[in-house]
Amino acid sequence: MSAGAALEVERLSVAFRGLQALNGVSVRASAGEITALVGPNGAGKTTLLNAVGGFCAITTGSIRLDGAPIHGLPSHRIAARGVGRAFQFVELFRHMTVLDNLMLGRHLHMRAGLLAGAVFFGRSRREQAAHRARVEAVIEFLELERYRRDAVDSLPFGVQKLCGVARALAMEPRLLVLDEPSSGMSREEKEDFARFLLRIKHELGTTVLWVEHDLEMVADLADRVTVLDFGQVIAEGPPAEALSAPQVVEAYLGRQP
Amino acid sequence: MAHGSGYFKTTYEADMALVDTRLRRLTLAALVVLLAALPRVASPFSLELVTQTALAAVGALALNVLTGLAGQISLGHAGFLCAGAFTVGILVESVKAPPLVTLPAAALVGALLGTLVGVPSLRLKGLYLALGTLAMHFVVLYAASEYQARWGFNTGVSVPAPTIAGIRFRSGLQWYYVLVAFAALTTLLSVNLTRSRVGRAWMAIRDREIAAASLGIAVARYKLLAFVASSVVTALAGAVWAYYRSFVSVEAFSFFVTIEFIAMIVIGGMGSTLGALLGASFVTLLPYGIDAVVGALAPGGAAPYWLFPLKFGAFGLLMALFLLFEPLGLVGIWRRARTWIVLWPLRYAPLRSAR
Repeated sequence: MSAGAALEVERLSVAFRGLQALNGVSVRASAGEITALVGPNGAGKTTLLNAVGGFCAITTGSIRLDGAPIHGLPSHRIAARGVGRAFQFVELFRHMTVLDNLMLGRHLHMRAGLLAGAVFFGRSRREQAAHRARVEAVIEFLELERYRRDAVDSLPFGVQKLCGVARALAMEPRLLVLDEPSSGMSREEKEDFARFLLRIKHELGTTVLWVEHDLEMVADLADRVTVLDFGQVIAEGPPAEALSAPQVVEAYLGRQP
Repeated sequence: MAHGSGYFKTTYEADMALVDTRLRRLTLAALVVLLAALPRVASPFSLELVTQTALAAVGALALNVLTGLAGQISLGHAGFLCAGAFTVGILVESVKAPPLVTLPAAALVGALLGTLVGVPSLRLKGLYLALGTLAMHFVVLYAASEYQARWGFNTGVSVPAPTIAGIRFRSGLQWYYVLVAFAALTTLLSVNLTRSRVGRAWMAIRDREIAAASLGIAVARYKLLAFVASSVVTALAGAVWAYYRSFVSVEAFSFFVTIEFIAMIVIGGMGSTLGALLGASFVTLLPYGIDAVVGALAPGGAAPYWLFPLKFGAFGLLMALFLLFEPLGLVGIWRRARTWIVLWPLRYAPLRSAR
């Protein structure tokens, strides 16, 4: 698998009509590290991820992956640069099986076109089998074996979220973007997920940009944390420092009277 | 779907095989034998019905790729058929072109028209797209009727029986084999597409465009590809239709034809290849079924005057009933029946560990 890429977001601003969702935000995710993005609701975390993935237009600023600018590219081209995204509200293809969802994660790595697919013999059949093997590796990695043939919408929500991560991992991304993967997961599922996250970092070396509400989890797993509030960065650094900064405590809990 | 125990697969190729159990191999063999031997036992009339069903199945499969797989609504299906049929009619009438010229030409016209109609789909969705494709339908029909009027074919263009490799196709038996083979080939290609990279990309676009783009699927390109693939096959079906009927007239491609094809994939079960086949059979055979029932109830008499509206009425009523009570269509009924047979005499699926 390809190793992680560094993400540099410089002075990024995004506005929706009159609303300034992001205002001069700079975030850096170093190669092979887990960078957490936290902040109260409406801080602009998901907007930042959408900007990185090319799902919303940016006003000013730049987004670079290993030094190459990716802002302004359509989202499928950004995906081709090696950005894999797991969505907050899953966004899986509900009627398809887990297997088919993950096979879609292999889309960029496969070549078969319309005619090759329609004939489905020889090379295109071998290609499909080879990529099936890669998908099985991801299924094993995230321990989804028993759900392989189930339609996604028949699965518990926590498992669906894990399938979203699996689909992004099947892309073999250099940057894995996770939007609140653990919300909706049970205690056990969260513990498993923490283990998977560490394995992604140590065994695959993928850079992870991770939006998370569970601050305990962030404190335990993240290498660096960026805290957003009202579209601006209010703290940045190793988890212990960033999360205990007074302005962060104030953003979450309010000012002490 | 559980097949019971006893089938242990050791390669992914074996797992991808379409005909993977003995029962399925036997079913397929029986189907091939039945279709091959049918002309020996069936009357010319029922053979003609099967032939018509096969031709309808090709059109339904093509529409299913566009609407069922890729999720793009099209009201232009009759327009694509008409374009293919008139390509044959015009080329045969003006330069006496052989089928080996007219069929590729029809495919090319289908591809161009598909691209033309596909471009708005990059911007339009749902009803707006439907109206865009409807506009194409009327443009094609207008062009075809202008051709008929200007060149003096007010009633239509007649197409002589085609000759390919020294064989002249004109008997009902020949057409039976040609069209059943055409339908079988289209079915195979359609099944393969559904499980291949392009088919999956189409379903991804149908289900969630943003998620599809996040996986690197070029949404615009694949939408266009769906329009082109579907319209090429549809135009070819139209071309073959022209030869089969040996007559091309604009009246045969009214908007009702589009509705019929949409009914086929809705009643059959949207997005399913088997559904398109079942739907095509159902919609093609329904009017004859009603005829037969009425004939049995009122023997000897001429067809009663209310038979014609009854056919239309039954058609609309059935479509509404399917939308209300069985959105998965005939294929949904078939799946439930299959589960029931597999589980019989129990009512519930065994626990997962018992599979």
